[in-house]
Amino acid sequence: MTRHVFQFPWRSRIDIRRDVDEELRFHLESREQELMAGGSSAEAARTLALREFGDVDDARACLQHIDDTIETTRRRRDYMNDLIQDLKYSVRALRATPTFTIVAVLTLALGIGANTAVFSVVHGVLQQPLPFPHPEQLVKIWSVNPTAGMLKGQVSPIDLDDWRAQRSRMADMGGWYFTDGGTGMDVTGLGEPQRVSTAFVMPGFFSTLQATPLVGRLPREDEMVRGGPDKVVVLSYGYWQRNFGGADSIVGKTLTLNGGPFRVLGVMRRDFAFPSPRTEMFVPYSTFPDRAVPHIRPVRTADVVARMKPGTTIDQVRAELAVITKNLAAQYPDDAAWTGATVVPLHEAMTGSVQTALLVLLAAVTFVLLMACVNVASLQLARATAREREIAIRVSIGATAGRIIRQLITESLVLALAGGIAGCAVALVGTRTLIALSAGQLPRVEEIHVDVVVMLFVLGVSLVSGLVFGLAPALRASSVDIQGMLRASSRSSTSTGGRLRNALVIAQLAFAVVLAVGAGLMTRSFRELLNVDPGFKPDHLLAVNFSINTTRHGDTAWQNYYNNVIQRVRLVPGVVAAGAAQYAPFRGMGERNPFVPVSYEVKAGEEVPAFPTQRISDGYFATIGTRVLSGREFLPADRAGTPTVVIVNEAYARKFFPGQDPVGKQLRSFDAVPITIVGMVGNIRQSDVSVPSEPLVYVNNMQNGRVKVTLVSRTRDNPLTMANSIRDAIWSVDRDQPITSIFTFDDIMNETLAKPRLMTVLFGAFGTIGLVLGAIGIYGVLAFLVTQRRREIGLRIALGATERGVMMLVVRRALSLAASGVTIGIVIALVLSRFVGALLYGVTPTDPSTYLAVIAALAAVAGLASFIPARRAAGVSPLVAMRQE
Amino acid sequence: MAHEPMDLLKGTLDVLVLRTLAWGPMHGYAVTRWIRERTGDALQIEDAPLYKALHRLEQAGCVTAEWGLSENNRRARFYRLTPAGRKQLKAEESAWRRYATAVFAVLEPA
Repeated sequence: MTRHVFQFPWRSRIDIRRDVDEELRFHLESREQELMAGGSSAEAARTLALREFGDVDDARACLQHIDDTIETTRRRRDYMNDLIQDLKYSVRALRATPTFTIVAVLTLALGIGANTAVFSVVHGVLQQPLPFPHPEQLVKIWSVNPTAGMLKGQVSPIDLDDWRAQRSRMADMGGWYFTDGGTGMDVTGLGEPQRVSTAFVMPGFFSTLQATPLVGRLPREDEMVRGGPDKVVVLSYGYWQRNFGGADSIVGKTLTLNGGPFRVLGVMRRDFAFPSPRTEMFVPYSTFPDRAVPHIRPVRTADVVARMKPGTTIDQVRAELAVITKNLAAQYPDDAAWTGATVVPLHEAMTGSVQTALLVLLAAVTFVLLMACVNVASLQLARATAREREIAIRVSIGATAGRIIRQLITESLVLALAGGIAGCAVALVGTRTLIALSAGQLPRVEEIHVDVVVMLFVLGVSLVSGLVFGLAPALRASSVDIQGMLRASSRSSTSTGGRLRNALVIAQLAFAVVLAVGAGLMTRSFRELLNVDPGFKPDHLLAVNFSINTTRHGDTAWQNYYNNVIQRVRLVPGVVAAGAAQYAPFRGMGERNPFVPVSYEVKAGEEVPAFPTQRISDGYFATIGTRVLSGREFLPADRAGTPTVVIVNEAYARKFFPGQDPVGKQLRSFDAVPITIVGMVGNIRQSDVSVPSEPLVYVNNMQNGRVKVTLVSRTRDNPLTMANSIRDAIWSVDRDQPITSIFTFDDIMNETLAKPRLMTVLFGAFGTIGLVLGAIGIYGVLAFLVTQRRREIGLRIALGATERGVMMLVVRRALSLAASGVTIGIVIALVLSRFVGALLYGVTPTDPSTYLAVIAALAAVAGLASFIPARRAAGVSPLVAMRQE
Repeated sequence: MAHEPMDLLKGTLDVLVLRTLAWGPMHGYAVTRWIRERTGDALQIEDAPLYKALHRLEQAGCVTAEWGLSENNRRARFYRLTPAGRKQLKAEESAWRRYATAVFAVLEPA
């Protein structure tokens, strides 16, 4: 205990040696003197003293060793004591200023947490390599049709076979046909009939990815071609686990898919989430019956992946494919317009759609981190300046500069540690929230983990910034003129600190402006999206997806089955109306078919323009609430045998019949037979709420049918409560009809808005954090300013300044800081705004009203933040100010 | 601190040194003189082990050392018993007495 008061100087090794020597010399000399005093000669005395002592050299070595050990232990103990003392003092000091501590810890927690969460997601989605060997060699390939402006067209499986045969730069290539929620097979014989999401794979699919099975084997090439033993299936890990409990014995068994037997060859590994994590089975594309998807060149269904040979560049692959596609276009009339190929690294192809959003998010969150660092720094700075007196006192009673600096470092570390722990919690919750919020919006969600490296990095950054800014004033404080400090006229020493603080606040406000502009733009864009008229009334609609099996219901008779199902559902009590379409709104455009007015002249070398075509039932538009602008919708009377009629949407009418009523006009398609337009309907957003409608042609499914059905029912009450009775109505027609999915359009609306909502929520949060941190920054500076200039303010009041005048003094200072920050921030925001353009809907990145709103918000924040300090300034008593003299 | 038979001598020296310092702070030479006078020729103790004992006791926290001035104004290292040392002395003393009693109980004719 006493050591805390009297710090014994530590003894060096040399000191110890000298001390031991001196102690021994003192002993021997004292003994000699005593003996000589008793009458011995000097010689005899020395000999006797040495003999009585024993082995002097051994004793010396031994004593030195013991003393060295003592000293080491003492140092260690002193160090620990000091550390404990520092920690105790830090905690006490931090508790003495709870506002500072809470704000700093929260700031750190937000900065660390938000950054770790966003970095973790970005790292998982964008940076983790694909789970295939040598993923950098993999590229995705699309067919290009320059005349149609199609740069990323699906590939014809027949073209793919030719590419594969002619390739030389690519080690391998393969294709697949898969759409999420689209391609599937009906599994029967395992309880309730199930529709199972299936990828139809072409030769080279597995070998290009160099995928290996977990159990069993993958199909050989001869098992993936038409006419070969191709009735085989490979299961995904998840499907295998869920349906067969992960039993190896599944290999060699036979499953009934679409009514036919398929032999199970093997099971993929758990991490094989390609083409989608929701793919459950892999079946050779060759098993696709011709009547469903004809095996002809113009049918372009395949996605293609290729593996470049080692040492080959992507440009060489592009060059090679350019030649191959040009030759095929010259050789086959069907390929005439498809004269090129787009080649993109597979990783980029998989993450491309979210890349912009994630990178913008990353930029925004980096701004949050910068603000957090600046905030902690300026808080530290203000605090350290405020503590200059306290530090001066400690110096005057003997604390060394080193000791004080160590104490301040400890304090910063304690703060950073608290912030780090809170930040970990924020990061965990944040990452989970982000994944939940982005459900279905992000590819490769399975790769996302809270990144400890990132967390440590961010913690380190905020720690260092805290240290640097906490230490700079400490260094100054410990070396300043103590007398001056104690006289409390420390104003002179803080002018540089003041300037630094101003700069920090201005930087902070600039960051806040950038974040607020981002938040403003996202919010406006989101509101625009919410106000979009999708072209139908999404409430009270329930959709049921299924595919009709033509083997069961007959090549032509299935259309009657289709009709019967719709009629049956219309009879269900609570169903107001029912109709069907191939693809529900927001669920896709449907296949493209050439539909042009009969008078349309095809120019030389031009392909007949093709437009998305939807197959629908009678009563469909009445069901979903789309306005028929002219003519009529399909009637039960329009059926096979009667003349084919079509309905077009407004966009189509505007393109080909501007200013005219299209009803009664005639179109032609594959053959010369004219097709009459019987109606025009309002535009429906088919692919996405943010994508305006294309010209679209509606064909009656009873006249030219497709087996993929989305049956839509308008219900009187909550549509979800009707799901079972509607499904039972379908099953009352065919007990074995597999149902792919059941959903409401409210769900789809939510799903479609999920990504913009995510961006809006996150940017809103970042923007709010930005404004709050900015307000804290301004408040800190002003509060400090008022404290520092009490005397001056008091003097002014004594000389007759009004309360209002004094308050304005402070507010004006706040506004001038805000003005600088806003100016810089707006410039940064304008420079960065072009990067968010791709994420916005219906609002330009330089939207003036958003910028004005942000300026107003910042001014308001600055005003609010200056209110308390201004009041305090106005309340300064001239007497108190004088007395401080 | 239990006594192991092998440490008998060491332990003996420790208790002698502690007992000596119980009179008050003194430098190493004074400690050796004092012990030498008390034990006379009965125990032939050299000075070296006594110094080792002093430093060892310092390490154990039983004594503290401080430089001071001797009777004839020379710099000397003075040792002082700490509260821990005093406690240690008490414990060792009673252990020694029990030991001695036990040995005497055997040696005395019944």
